Amino acid sequence: MALMPKRVKWRKSQRGKVRGVAGKGNTVAFGDFGLQCLSAGWLTARQIEAGRVAATHYLHREGKVYVRMFPHKPVSSKPLETRMGKGKGEPEFWVACVRPGTMLFEVAGVDETVARDALTRVAHKMPYRCRFVKRRHGL
Amino acid sequence: METLTIKAEPRMTSGTRISRALRAAGRLPAVIYGHGEAPESVSLAHHEVEVALAHGARTLQVDLNGGVKPYLIKQVQYDHLGTNLIHLDLSRVDLHERVKVRVGIELRGVPKGIHDGGVLDQQMAQIEVECVVTEIPDTFHPVVTHLALGDSLLVKDLQLPPGVVAMADSNERIATVRLLAVEVVAPVAPIEGEAATTAEPERIGRIRKDDEEVAAETKKPEAKKAEAKKPDAKK
Repeated sequence: MALMPKRVKWRKSQRGKVRGVAGKGNTVAFGDFGLQCLSAGWLTARQIEAGRVAATHYLHREGKVYVRMFPHKPVSSKPLETRMGKGKGEPEFWVACVRPGTMLFEVAGVDETVARDALTRVAHKMPYRCRFVKRRHGL
Repeated sequence: METLTIKAEPRMTSGTRISRALRAAGRLPAVIYGHGEAPESVSLAHHEVEVALAHGARTLQVDLNGGVKPYLIKQVQYDHLGTNLIHLDLSRVDLHERVKVRVGIELRGVPKGIHDGGVLDQQMAQIEVECVVTEIPDTFHPVVTHLALGDSLLVKDLQLPPGVVAMADSNERIATVRLLAVEVVAPVAPIEGEAATTAEPERIGRIRKDDEEVAAETKKPEAKKAEAKKPDAKK
């Protein structure tokens, strides 16, 4: 099942704009290799789940996959053939806002070639340009 | 560890635009502080710092106003993608001084527990150590081939060079070989509409008005209009 919050304060939110670059969550923090987003926008819960499934299936239960973002934002829409007005539509799906630099997924416990192949498959499921990065051990 | 000499120029002005202009001109903004003296804003040659960091330098010999002194690289700031250097923090040090620094841990080898279905989980990627400035280790490379399923590599198992003391608790875990939790896949029900996505999270905090009531109120005028139109249609 796709990710979504367990508890929220408000059911609906305004759309907003994804501006700027990732000031945090932009380094490989848990695994050895990561997939970094190079664009700004929304990632739906389904896309995140598709990426997670692609990585875990490829790794055959070897290593560990970390999902570094979470869909906190509800997106509402109006039913088909409905006239405008009469209030905001109902929440349809959940999205995560990502900025250039956001680390989307991380992989640990496998060597670089396997991690690169796994994260390439994940990158194909993502709607934005991504790149493969390694953990920085030194300064 | 290598120590390179880099020429620094004092910066009289500061700010975002000035720093950006410096970077465009191939200079790297930096600050020097420590030892109870006033901080100094300087700029260094960007490429030389990059080369020094690529060689694992922890200290730099900086030529500032004609005097060459050693400085400890305290912090390195990168841009949002983690590729380009944007700022450097240098700390004044004495070469015989003991300092606390964070050193990376890169595990070597494949644990034997992996063949029994385990996964190597590294909990600690860096460790804080205290040592003399001139003897800061680059990276620790502990071998983990002997770890069986359920075994852990602890801080006390690290072979530290003489004079280097780990600041972390000796029983703290660096890595563990453990069984991966089995993912239980629930039986997939046939999707009708968007049943999975329409499930709503619980609401917290003060709720001003129930949404159902709001929806009912908005529908009322429509229903009234429809009722009013019905007799006309029959006629």
